[in-house]
Amino acid sequence: MSAISIENLTKTYRGKRGAKVDALKELTLEIEAGEVFGFLGPNGAGKSTAIKTLMGLISPTSGSATILGKDITTPDARRSVGFLPENPSFYDYLSAEEYLVFVGKTFAMSGPELKEKTASVLNRLDLWEARKRPMRSYSKGMVQRVGIAQVLVHDPDVYILDEPMSGLDPLGRTLVKEIIKELRERGKTVFFSTHITADVELICDRVGILVAGALQTVRPVQEILAAGVVGYQVKAKDIPQELFSYYNADSQAEWLSVPKADLGPVMARLQAAGSTVELVEPQRKDLEAFFLDIVAHSQA
Amino acid sequence: MTSMISVTLKGIFRDRVFQGILMTALIFLLIPTVSLLSMRQVTELSITLALSLNSLIFLLLSVFLGGTMLWKDIERRYSYGVLGLPMTRSSYLAGKFAGVALFFLLTAIVLGAATFVVVFFASSLYPPERPVQWEIIALCLFFDVMKYVLLVAIAFLFSTLSTSFFLPVFGTIAIFLAGGATQQVYDYIHSTAGDTLTPLVKQAASGLYYLLPNFSAFDLKVNAIYGLSTSFSGLLLTIGYFLLYTTFILSLAALIFSRREMR
Repeated sequence: MSAISIENLTKTYRGKRGAKVDALKELTLEIEAGEVFGFLGPNGAGKSTAIKTLMGLISPTSGSATILGKDITTPDARRSVGFLPENPSFYDYLSAEEYLVFVGKTFAMSGPELKEKTASVLNRLDLWEARKRPMRSYSKGMVQRVGIAQVLVHDPDVYILDEPMSGLDPLGRTLVKEIIKELRERGKTVFFSTHITADVELICDRVGILVAGALQTVRPVQEILAAGVVGYQVKAKDIPQELFSYYNADSQAEWLSVPKADLGPVMARLQAAGSTVELVEPQRKDLEAFFLDIVAHSQA
Repeated sequence: MTSMISVTLKGIFRDRVFQGILMTALIFLLIPTVSLLSMRQVTELSITLALSLNSLIFLLLSVFLGGTMLWKDIERRYSYGVLGLPMTRSSYLAGKFAGVALFFLLTAIVLGAATFVVVFFASSLYPPERPVQWEIIALCLFFDVMKYVLLVAIAFLFSTLSTSFFLPVFGTIAIFLAGGATQQVYDYIHSTAGDTLTPLVKQAASGLYYLLPNFSAFDLKVNAIYGLSTSFSGLLLTIGYFLLYTTFILSLAALIFSRREMR
C-alpha cells in the first residue's frame, strides 16, 4: 500500500467575473512508504494547493486521494500525518510547550509519553529555553521550528511539509535536513514541497516537478543526477602528451576533461601508457539545470 | 474538543478580555450613588442599572469576542495548523463556541456577584417597600447569559459565511436589534391596530418572527426589578427554545464551515 496515493486530483478555482483558474490539473502520484519525496515547482505551480487538498483544507474539484489507505475527506486520514503548513502561524498567546501539548492531546497522547516527547522535540529543535514564552515573542525562524516540532511530537508515519526550510537560517536548514534524513532511516514517509533544488538533491529519493498545476515528471533523484553526467574529470600522473593536449582544456597539470563517450578509450590509453589514474570525477548537470529544462520545456 | 475549549479560554484570558471586563465593571461602583437620584426607588433603579450594565458588557462581548473569534483564527492563519489535525471542523467550531460560552458563564458569576453586592448595598441604604427577590435577579442574569450565548452562535454563523469581520460584527448587531423587537412587532400586527396592514406585510412579519430569534423571551428584568414571580413552564419553554435555536444555528454554521475553502 502506498503511503500517499493521488488519482486525477483537480482543483479549479472560480476567479473574478467567473473566470476559471486551474490550480491543479489531474494530478496522479504514488508516494511509497518510507520514501522522501520532493515536490518541486516554481512559485504558483500548485504545490500548496495539492498539499492543502491532501490535508482537507480545500476540497478537490474532482479526483481522489488517500493517505495510508484512508480517504482524505475524512479526519481519520490525518491521524497518522504530521502536517506543516506554509509560513505557519500558531496561537501566539500559547507557548511552544503548550501548543505541542495541545497537538499531542489532539492525537490522543497523554501523561508521561506526551511530556517526554514534548521535551525531546523542544530540545531537538533548540526551543527548550524559549518553551515557556508566548509564541508572539518568537522570531520567524523559531515559529518555523515550532512547526517542525509539532509534526514530530506525535511521531506519525507520514509527514507532509509545505516549504519546511522557509524562514530558517543555515543552521536551522541543516537541522531540518538532518531530521528528514533520520525520519527516512526510521522508515517514515516524507512528502515536502520546495522550490529549492539543492534541498531535493541532498535529501530526496524521488522528485516530482509541478508546473502550472500539471505534473511534468516524477523521477528518482539519483537517476536524474546519473543521467545528467556529461563527462568526467580524470586526474592521473604521467599523462601521454597527445591526450593532454586534446583533453586538457583548462591547462591544469594532471587533469583531463573527458566527454562521457570518450571515457573508455581514454582510460584504456592511460593504462597502456602506464599512467596512474588517481581520481575519476563525474561532471554533471545538477537538479537545478534539470528543473529549469523541465520548466522551460513545459512553458514552450 | 476539550483541548479546543481549553485553548480558546486561554486565548480569551491572555488577550486580557477579562481584565477589560473588570475595568468596565468598575462602573458598578457608581450605581448606588446614581440610584440615589431616583429618590424613592433606589433599590429598583440599582437593579435596573446593574442588570443593564451586565447586558451591555455581554452585548459587547458577543459582538466583538464572538464576532471575531473565527475570523481571527482564519485571518491570522491559526486555522491551517489546527484543521490539519485529526479534528472535524464541527468539533473545532463547537470547541471554540463552548470556550466562549464557558467564558460567558464565568463572567456572569463575577458580574452577578458584583450585581448582588451593589443591590444589597443600595437596598441597605434605602430599604425597598417590596423585599428584593434575589433568586429572580439570579434567574434574570442566567437568562441574559443564555440570550447572549445565542447571539454568539449567530455571530459564529456569520463568521462562517464571510471572510471579513464586517458581516459577523454588524450582522450580529442587526440581529440583536431585530431579535429584541420581533415580539412587539408580532403583537402589533395581531392587534386591532395591525388590521390596517396589508396581508403581505403581515405574512412577512410573521415569517420573520419565526425565523429571527426572539430575545424578549429571555428578558426577566421587569420580574427582577419589581420582584414579580416567573412562570416555571415559561422558563422551561425558553430554555428549550434556547437549546433548539442554538443547536440549529450551530449545525448550520458547522455545515457551512465544513464546506469552506481554506485557501
